[in-house]
Amino acid sequence: MALNPLTLRKLRRFRSLRRGYWSFLLLMGLIVLSLLGELLVNNRALVVRSNGHWYFPTYGANLPGATFGFNYTYETDYRTLQARFRAEAKGDWVLMPWVPYGPNENTSYEGVFKPAPPSWLGAPPGHWLGTDTTGRDVFARLFYGFRIAIFFSLSFMVLTYLVGITIGCLMGYYGGAVDLIGQRLIEVWSNIPFLYMIIILFSVVPSTFGVGTRIGLLLAILVLFSWTSMTYYMRTATYREKSRDYAAAAVVLGAGPGRIIFHHILPNTISTIVTFMPFTVASAVTSITALDFLGFGLPPPTPSMGELLKQGTQTLTTAPWIVTSAFAALVFILVLVTFIGEAVREAFDPKKFTTYQ
Amino acid sequence: MLRPKHLHRTLELLLAGSLLLLLLGACARQDVTQAAKHDARDEAKAYYAAHPDFFHFKTPADLPANLAWEDGSELPEFADPAAKKGGTLNYYIPDFPRTLRTVGPDSNGSFRAWILDDNVMYYARRHPNLTSLTKNGFHYYPGVAEKWAVDRATKTVYIKLDPAARWSDGVPITSDDSLFAIFFYRTTYIRAPWYNNYYTTKFTGITRYDDHTFALHFPELRPDILALALENEPTPAHFYAEVGDDYPERYQWRFVPTSGPYQVRPADIDKGREVTLTHVKNWWAADKKFWRHRFNPDRVRLTVIRDNAKAFEAFRKGDIDYFGLSLAEYWYDKLPDSAPEVQAGYIHKIKFFNDIPHPTYGLWMNETRPLLDNRDIRVGIQYALNWDLVIRKFSRGDWTRMQTSADGFGEFTAPDIHARSFSVDQALASFAKAGFTKRGPDGILVNEAGTRLSVQVTTGYENLKDVLTILQEDAIKAGLELRVEVLDNTAAFKKAQEKKHDIEFSAWNVSPEMFPRYWETHHSANAYDNAFRPDGSVNPSRTIKTQTNNLQEIAYPELDRMIETYDKSDNIAEMKQLAFKIEQFIYDDASFSPGFDINYLRTGIWRWVGIPKAGNVKLATTFNEYSLYWIDEDAKQETKAAIQAGRTFAPVIQILDQYQQR
Repeated sequence: MALNPLTLRKLRRFRSLRRGYWSFLLLMGLIVLSLLGELLVNNRALVVRSNGHWYFPTYGANLPGATFGFNYTYETDYRTLQARFRAEAKGDWVLMPWVPYGPNENTSYEGVFKPAPPSWLGAPPGHWLGTDTTGRDVFARLFYGFRIAIFFSLSFMVLTYLVGITIGCLMGYYGGAVDLIGQRLIEVWSNIPFLYMIIILFSVVPSTFGVGTRIGLLLAILVLFSWTSMTYYMRTATYREKSRDYAAAAVVLGAGPGRIIFHHILPNTISTIVTFMPFTVASAVTSITALDFLGFGLPPPTPSMGELLKQGTQTLTTAPWIVTSAFAALVFILVLVTFIGEAVREAFDPKKFTTYQ
Repeated sequence: MLRPKHLHRTLELLLAGSLLLLLLGACARQDVTQAAKHDARDEAKAYYAAHPDFFHFKTPADLPANLAWEDGSELPEFADPAAKKGGTLNYYIPDFPRTLRTVGPDSNGSFRAWILDDNVMYYARRHPNLTSLTKNGFHYYPGVAEKWAVDRATKTVYIKLDPAARWSDGVPITSDDSLFAIFFYRTTYIRAPWYNNYYTTKFTGITRYDDHTFALHFPELRPDILALALENEPTPAHFYAEVGDDYPERYQWRFVPTSGPYQVRPADIDKGREVTLTHVKNWWAADKKFWRHRFNPDRVRLTVIRDNAKAFEAFRKGDIDYFGLSLAEYWYDKLPDSAPEVQAGYIHKIKFFNDIPHPTYGLWMNETRPLLDNRDIRVGIQYALNWDLVIRKFSRGDWTRMQTSADGFGEFTAPDIHARSFSVDQALASFAKAGFTKRGPDGILVNEAGTRLSVQVTTGYENLKDVLTILQEDAIKAGLELRVEVLDNTAAFKKAQEKKHDIEFSAWNVSPEMFPRYWETHHSANAYDNAFRPDGSVNPSRTIKTQTNNLQEIAYPELDRMIETYDKSDNIAEMKQLAFKIEQFIYDDASFSPGFDINYLRTGIWRWVGIPKAGNVKLATTFNEYSLYWIDEDAKQETKAAIQAGRTFAPVIQILDQYQQR
């Protein structure tokens, strides 16, 4: 793909901003890692060698316990299996992931379900960041919580920009009545208190919807109430670009509005949008966390940083590691995204690369 | 500054505004005059006249001679004479009450206990320590009644009201209020079908003899006839004079005058934040035996704290005076015996064993929902719920497994029925009968049509949500997916009342009655309107009945018949047999999964809260129910000063197990 030399210069500039660039690499690395999450943090084994057979349970269907000679039909407990194989010493073996706990799995501590401290604080080994109030591994929950939050935020960003840019450009390009009516509608729409809408809409969502549908619905509602702010920028930018000669030339050449908007005007206004992107992601991460904290976000037991934060505030004195881990993780992600944002803004700063004569 | 032009404009506006107000005022006055024309007391009189077979009017001369009047005077008092009067009790409510009405939509919430159940005197109340049975049932001590007598031959209870009895607004309590109560609870204005039915079926008549004497007539001589007659509150007829079709809105925020010690003054309602109860000035029963040394604080301030953990921190700071520590997390981890406040003697920890039927914590499955309408699936779910794990690992062994829907009723509790224990094999076998034989890739069972075995569990118990996540994890082993939904308390209650739930995790507070009630929770009349055709077959056009306690939507003609016989029986042996049969039926139907019993109250109290030596009474369901505690303002000052100065007191950790069932 041939990039505009101007864009190339911007990208080179971005690369030269060390802090932002490294943050970007780190975040991308984390996202890639989280995509392979099942291989790293999971209570399913990576590889099982049993009676001369190979099993790779990570991505496949549940392997019932009966497969390995247990007397149950639900999913095999691979940690027990590993211990059994070791005790039998018949050459069978199990390779467990790096963190051998699932995000929804309760494990008991001192015989009961209560938060276990991180293993390096003297608790039994296995839980690096301790466990939450029902004995679920905090690290596993944070890890999967991050994956859901970041992909949620990225899809949120893509969708809001799609809607916001389209509507903003249309208003700016056509102007006149379209602009006037559109603006008034947007003003009305953006004054609807969005949190109340979430609460109301979620109270009428049929209970038969699954977790996936509910997450999708939450995304849709968030987008529905967030696209408006983007239209303002795009509207003004389009107004400005529309009056330039190249736009007039395109009209003379017989290009339709769609072509003019998306092929001529949009590439010239994109730099405004790009600088907003990381901040949109950051605000989406924050709002999904806040919604979870309030109990209107992702349905339990979906792992989430907001839910952990909430637990943490309720166990500040008895299990400080919950709130510490969740808080640190959240701050870390937000700081990364913000660093990226700052660097992008600087790299795309028109003052540096202005071509005005 | 307003310039003349603007002033003119302003004057115009003012004029228009006042005109509008005048108009509105006129409308309002019209309303008032209309309301004045309609006096519910007149309507009640017309109602009495229209039902002469129910409402009888006689003179004191007509009272039977030789009535064996009882007044409970031989019973021992249970309050502590050492109680100190005065002070303010600070406590919290998790949710602001939706109404101050005590009957009608939204009135059956947890706040009702503060203004009704624990506050009013009734005609007489059951003695909370003497639980043995007499010929007429339990032991009673007088409330607004002075004495009462049972005439077994005519199935009648005669009640003589205390002439000194007054409503909290100073109006005397008379027999007319008792008659009015029946009219009131029978009207459709109140939108409360339970009351409508109860006051239509439980009594066959009422006879007024004079201002303070009346008699209630019953269709049968039930073993608990005294409870039916005496554990009722008359209704302030003067207050309900405006009752009409707009009752729910008109009375939404009006405090019902009470016979009891606490009232809510309009100025003390800070909507959404706080309600304060104030002691009735010169409360008429303040020095009466059984009522003295109780209800000691002058004011009870109830602040809304929506979050339990936050309420606990408020308690630790001393902003609220006591806190329930029944959850293991609080008793063992958040306020362990070694906590500095406990060791310094500022906060006392009390574990008190009570002996009553306990709240019915369990899963209530709605039989009208898909999947749950199949009995085999319900049975499977019963086997798929690992309550024992919850008890062992969440409550740390402190709770016990509930076996039937009516545990703790002594002889009326079926001894041979045991709730199903967790068993993956039996669950799978039962699910297989319903066509769920294959596990999907995620381990959840799927049937031929591709439907996943997945149901939603709703709860309003934020502090017990971990119970559900534990059940959820183990249910997966049996191929069942539970989708957990944790809602705000009121929202969850509302959802269940509208029968929109799949499975509700909740509990009914059971009052310590002689035998369990089944009509409310298990009769088809509370599941559907016109559930069955006259021939007993299912009415295809029946509609779900909302706002009732039948959360299972359980409806079977044979169960109805048993409940009806049970509710009419006057024979203890027969009732026991029926109770066991009904319980067996419920067990077989499998739509209620009994959870756990909590047979103790664990409370943390600041050292300025005084409690009786015994701790509480045998029948206590909450710390405050019988209002036996007191606030020692001197001790409060002393404690606060001690905290400042770093002085400490002897730690107090009490286990009061005199009523523990072993």
